[in-house]
Amino acid sequence: MNLTNIPKVKIIDYGIGNIWSVMSAFKYLGVEVEIVSDPEEISMSSILVLPGVGSFRKCMESLMNSGIDKAVIEAVSNKDAKILGVCLGMQLMGSCSTEDGKTKGLNLLPNRVEKFTSQELNSKKVPHVGFDSINFDKKEGLFKDLPDMPDFYFTHSYRMLVEDLHGVYATCKYGVEFLAAYQVNNICGTQFHPEKSQTNGLILLKNFIQL
Amino acid sequence: MLKKRVIFTLLYDNGSFMLSRNFRLQKVGDLHWLKRNYNFSDIAFSIDELIILDVTRGNRNEERFYEHVRFFTEECFVPIASGGGIRTLEQASQLIYSGADKVVVNTLVVENPNIIIDIATKFGAQCIVASIDVGLANNKFNIWTDNGSVKQEIGITELLNNIASLPIGELYLNSINHDGTGHGYENELLDFIPDKFPIPVILAGGAGKYKHFANALQDERVDAVATAHLFNFVGNGLQEAREQLLNDKFNLAVWDVNLAKYLANCI
Repeated sequence: MNLTNIPKVKIIDYGIGNIWSVMSAFKYLGVEVEIVSDPEEISMSSILVLPGVGSFRKCMESLMNSGIDKAVIEAVSNKDAKILGVCLGMQLMGSCSTEDGKTKGLNLLPNRVEKFTSQELNSKKVPHVGFDSINFDKKEGLFKDLPDMPDFYFTHSYRMLVEDLHGVYATCKYGVEFLAAYQVNNICGTQFHPEKSQTNGLILLKNFIQL
Repeated sequence: MLKKRVIFTLLYDNGSFMLSRNFRLQKVGDLHWLKRNYNFSDIAFSIDELIILDVTRGNRNEERFYEHVRFFTEECFVPIASGGGIRTLEQASQLIYSGADKVVVNTLVVENPNIIIDIATKFGAQCIVASIDVGLANNKFNIWTDNGSVKQEIGITELLNNIASLPIGELYLNSINHDGTGHGYENELLDFIPDKFPIPVILAGGAGKYKHFANALQDERVDAVATAHLFNFVGNGLQEAREQLLNDKFNLAVWDVNLAKYLANCI
């Protein structure tokens, strides 16, 4: 058996949030998982997962203070590592967010992050929490083998705008249409939590590994 | 379209899982028992969310509880909320680092909302579930805290208005009088919810069968239903209840339960 062919996922730990469940989901699929926080190791990795919970500003500060921001950009932009950003991790890869005043993101994608406005929501509750269905054009890449309009678990008050995106993507509608998931070359993100989305999430994580 | 949710609540007391009736606890078994009597992976694929509450009446062994929480994060691919006795940001952080996606706060809501603000500042409002225990005494509904042992003066609607102004993601509205009876939810509690309440509502306390879920989920004020009854839904009870709700066109999330087994070690 050629051991080098077994994919190893490196989950980035920068002191924010919950990395156990995403680890468990990959392990369930039979993928080897490792937690990384050393920027040098991150910059050398080929499969990365960027989790995130809480505030955009706080997460960006943690990434910058630890030097992980540059390591991620190095791995993804210069070394073609593939990356999956989950929830806030997806948003962090965008250009900026209006959370806690304007904060710049990793800028791997041009998309911006904004809060749901009350006008858009029309008295719908915030955060957008629970399983909701997503839409995509083609069942390919990240969305291969999924059923039509599959349900995924969301929990967020800010969302990424569907703008300037050149790749495969999915949207979800909660008062307003927003970006639910994307795959732009080696850069993937999901606003929902695939590791919390039962079978549908496991299929998506399998797809990510097999991209 | 956003789906409604069916939630399973596990009550934990010092290493054991408990059955609660009107907040009086009865020991059912430990993790070993739970694994033997419930095919947990089947249960896990029949619910939208898991809540694990440390309702230990004596001294809490928090480390041991965190280990139990971690076990479930490895077994279920649904969100996990956990709490019980949270008084500090440190305790909330420990639960989140043990794999909980959300923390459930109860006494803090009444006695020290500032800590809730601290938790939300660190982890976001979406990860805080405010749990409210309502009990009937002398024909009057009151808020009870500290595992239902302390009656609070604050009115229910007043407290719910406070909750609406705090960084809180969800409300877990529990009936002490219906808790563990299996007679159905105490729908009257929903009347205390102010108009245009901005936070999703989980109704808990009293579910014993499919019909109770269905009745509650029909109410537009209810976003999710929870049950903590280990026996009413033993075996594949929850699985059947979910299938029936889906057959009856309730707005619940759908996934392929059987396919999940094939995905195990598929890579």
